Amino acid sequence: MLIPPEQLIDGCVRTLLETVLPGIESRFARGQLYAVADVLRNLRDRVEEKAAPLELEAQSLRDSLERAAGVLRASGDTAAYDVGLRIENSLAAVPAAPLAACLGALHTVMTSTLEALDGIAEDVVQGAKAALGGHFAAQAVRELMLLKPSLLSEISKG
Amino acid sequence: MSDSLEAKLERFLLARHPGARRVKMISLERSTEGFSQETFSFEVEIDDEKGLTSRRGFVAKRAPVAGLLEPYDLEPEFRVLKALSDDPLPSPPTPWFEADPAVLERPFYVMERLPGEVPIPAAQPDGQGPLDPATRSALTPQVVAALARLHAIDWRARGLGFLGAPRRGREAALRELSRWQARIEAARLPVAPVMQEALGWLRRHAPATDEATLVHGDFRLGNWLVEKSPEGVRLSGLLDWEMVHLGDPLEDVAWCSSLLWRAGSPLASGLVPPSEFYALYAEASGRAVDPERLRFYELLSLVKMSAIMLTGIRAFRDGRTPDLRMAIFDHQLPFLMAAVAMLRGWLPAPAE
Repeated sequence: MLIPPEQLIDGCVRTLLETVLPGIESRFARGQLYAVADVLRNLRDRVEEKAAPLELEAQSLRDSLERAAGVLRASGDTAAYDVGLRIENSLAAVPAAPLAACLGALHTVMTSTLEALDGIAEDVVQGAKAALGGHFAAQAVRELMLLKPSLLSEISKG
Repeated sequence: MSDSLEAKLERFLLARHPGARRVKMISLERSTEGFSQETFSFEVEIDDEKGLTSRRGFVAKRAPVAGLLEPYDLEPEFRVLKALSDDPLPSPPTPWFEADPAVLERPFYVMERLPGEVPIPAAQPDGQGPLDPATRSALTPQVVAALARLHAIDWRARGLGFLGAPRRGREAALRELSRWQARIEAARLPVAPVMQEALGWLRRHAPATDEATLVHGDFRLGNWLVEKSPEGVRLSGLLDWEMVHLGDPLEDVAWCSSLLWRAGSPLASGLVPPSEFYALYAEASGRAVDPERLRFYELLSLVKMSAIMLTGIRAFRDGRTPDLRMAIFDHQLPFLMAAVAMLRGWLPAPAE
């Protein structure tokens, strides 16, 4: 999440009170809307982003990078071997905590690995790419499981 | 004198209709189509000097306080729309631009309201795409013809050189890449590894082109007005010109067929399979659809959308816009990154 939960809640409250409320005439509906705002305002200082999905992402990143490094080192190609070694050295320097720093460092290792693989023959890096692809696929599934059905057609309806 | 939006627009239009005795607002609505500029659709009655009353529909586009494509400058797109007002291309005739913030708080322009509805690029509740088969088959040739027509416009003759033509070679591709990369960097938010890698790939593989055409920049389902009548289905308008520039025409082709606008279907902008769209465009434009250039612009389309989303998220985070539509990008961004991974071959792509 790039927007902190408390800021999202503040945004929801502001939209409800400044944009939605003026368009509601029913006294009961207005009361319900104030109740929603009241709940949200009291929720905002009690919530934070769940750590579990971030921990899963970090573990998945680390596992896929380790697998890719192993494949590259065993490939018999000098350039690929060097990349594999660099990945292992970089992983060893990733801090275990705090989680945000750990994830940030793992993302940096992933970025440099992807860039390095682009310069090596496809048949050499195929196995490493598959290992990294395993992470991207799993991460996409994890994100998908958190996503609720889109309301875009209602949000943007003219 | 009232300071309501209605009254301000009435005064603005009265001043632009010499001889008119009165301009009266009949209806005014803020549209939710388009996430970027503020769009107001309105209808007025105009009494002329002879006392005859006519009804006219207009649309006003106003720069927002903050938004997806900030910083905003509406004048270039206004000049393009005005220059195209007499072209057969169904762009909205656009007679007036006002830069003075005293008139409507921020710069705006006014165009004539065209008939039709905008199909939204989202799957229907039953999972089907937004366009039925009859609409698709009627609309596809019109869309392709409009795109070919747009790219055939003699922009020099129309006085659009102010948009800045790229030199022959890689400048068109590199300039667009730099434009969107700069926006990503300006957002000062963490950038996913696949996006970082994609930016590097694009820099190394920017293709050369020997032609520069007018590029709409946002030509796709969601920016087309479609009018349905007993006579059939008609593409009645091309909207949202705020990303117009001079560049490689395949940029529009790639954007229109991008994974972004498939609307729950495997079809380019919900119309036809991408390969068919490319073939139809090649036939209509007489221009070869070079797969290498297309590949570059397909990936650039995702970079562009990522830059737009990150800009919106940044504006929301900074409290510069209360528009919650900016916040929904936060949970959409991971899927954009999955699409980037697909195009770069880190994830298997779906079969067409």
